[in-house]
Amino acid sequence: MSSTPPAVETDGLTKRFGDFTAVADLDLRVDAGGVVALLGPNGAGKTTTVRMLATLVAPTSGSATVCGHDVVRESDAVRQAISLTGQFAALEDNLTARRNLILMAQLRGHGKRAAQTIADGLIDRFDIGEFRDKLIKGLSGGQRRRVDMAASLVTQPELLVLDEPTTGLDPRSRMVVWETVRDLVGEGVTLLLTTQYLEEADALADRIVLIDHGREAASGTPTELKARIGEQRVDVVAVDAAGLERIVAALDGRFEISVNRGQRTVSVPAPDETIALTEVAGAIRDAGVPIDEIALRRPTLDDAFLTLTGHPPTPEKPDGARSDDDVAEEIAA
Amino acid sequence: MSTVTAPTIELPARPGSVVRYFRETGLLVGRALRTIPAVPERLSDVTIQPIVFTLLFLYVFGAAIEIPGVPRYQDYLLPGLIGQSLAFGVIGAGVATANDFSSGVIDRFRSLPVTRLSVISAQVIGQVIEQILGMTIVAGLGLLLGWEPHMSAVEVLGLIALILLGLTAFTWFGVLLGMLVRSSDAMQGIGFAIVFPLAFLAGTFVPIEKMDLIPRTIGEWNPISTLVAAVRQITQGVHATGSWPLEHPVVAMVLWCLVIIGVCVPIALRRFQTTSAA
Repeated sequence: MSSTPPAVETDGLTKRFGDFTAVADLDLRVDAGGVVALLGPNGAGKTTTVRMLATLVAPTSGSATVCGHDVVRESDAVRQAISLTGQFAALEDNLTARRNLILMAQLRGHGKRAAQTIADGLIDRFDIGEFRDKLIKGLSGGQRRRVDMAASLVTQPELLVLDEPTTGLDPRSRMVVWETVRDLVGEGVTLLLTTQYLEEADALADRIVLIDHGREAASGTPTELKARIGEQRVDVVAVDAAGLERIVAALDGRFEISVNRGQRTVSVPAPDETIALTEVAGAIRDAGVPIDEIALRRPTLDDAFLTLTGHPPTPEKPDGARSDDDVAEEIAA
Repeated sequence: MSTVTAPTIELPARPGSVVRYFRETGLLVGRALRTIPAVPERLSDVTIQPIVFTLLFLYVFGAAIEIPGVPRYQDYLLPGLIGQSLAFGVIGAGVATANDFSSGVIDRFRSLPVTRLSVISAQVIGQVIEQILGMTIVAGLGLLLGWEPHMSAVEVLGLIALILLGLTAFTWFGVLLGMLVRSSDAMQGIGFAIVFPLAFLAGTFVPIEKMDLIPRTIGEWNPISTLVAAVRQITQGVHATGSWPLEHPVVAMVLWCLVIIGVCVPIALRRFQTTSAA
């Protein structure tokens, strides 16, 4: 088999805006066919990384290649290989959804007729039909995101980059985006996605890179990372101290419990979600103990940061107020 | 969601960079023009504004101003209004560019394998087309209200060519300002602080000869005065005096435009090519 260059390979990639270091010495690799998630809070450097890969900003030092092409020296080749969907839906607000798709296809090099065919295909595929002739500025966040993703697929990119594809979306729209991403991955699209949600990285990626202050804090498969962060668990909260002891008595021996007396909580690891939840609930019902709450808890981005970096995800703020990468960029420019 | 099948239409062979430049510029100008029906108010600075200025100056000041050697104020005013439109076009182009370039869609274009020059060229051409509308309104209204230019057919063509060149140069300058400033509010501020006074210190509405030294010197060397003097010379046969550009306005205007374009285009391109910038 001929050796395909990795879809993304960075070596000491660094970006500074004035005194603010957005990305520091990042070594990142996405193999062809892989799905990598950059996970981190706002301001961690995810968007700046993506913008360097998409040739929108130049690295301060270090290097990066996309599909074997250097982002600085061969930016035109990079732009032919990569397709970026930005965090803020980058569409022409004052054109219709269909017009936007046709324009993007034409700018990629398709003729008018082909561009229309492609746009109509994408309209079917992303369920845009209902609002295809509406101006983008009149669409909901979820609808925009669908058009935005469709716009990234007017040609089959060698690398698809989705920058926070579900930030700000309602849960239903998020599910639609996830389904689409899974479909694309099923087709073999190489994907780099950024997200603030551990759950999202876990659901979509086969490799997660945790970014903290522009640096890689940890990386691995979702399973590896979750093993380090701690699995999901069932938490049972007692109504009072006496109740807590009765819950302990009911569960101890049958489950591997840990007790937090300060919070009147008993935790049971739940690798198999619903089975653990129903079994724990059943044991408590059999014992007839009143409880305050029973819930399945998943580790969050906060848990991941606490475990893997030793501190909660607190982005460095270049000027105190807002702190996403774009702001840092504006301040420095 | 329906089962996904990738679009299977193959991309045609990639043409050379010159062909791509023209094709992409055309597509992007089309994009700019197609958005107008959604935001018709964007055109107010080339429609309502010039109409208001023409009427205000003709009927408010025109009654009180007497220009030596030009019996009818319309004949003095209209070349001035054409110069003023050119100047205000800088503000219009800058504001439009600042708005456009702060929206995500320009980043999307920049992430596509599109010639960088075509994105800025399209911005300039779109703005020039809007300014042509403004100029046409000013000239048309002027003719309705009694402006009597005296020109041969060749002179008409020459005048149109000169104004188009001026529009192109000034719009490049405005687009560059908009790219550098990146906020439409700041661009408005620059417009009022610099462009607005320059538009008045150009022999636009009253002669500059009797002004104090500083405003007179600005007026003598201001590129807007050069255009105004050129238009006056071509349309009314009135020759300005005071400085070399005013005495040779057509040649001076062509030189001004070439210098402005020669300076603005490379800076704008460099600015846009952030990839190679720090």
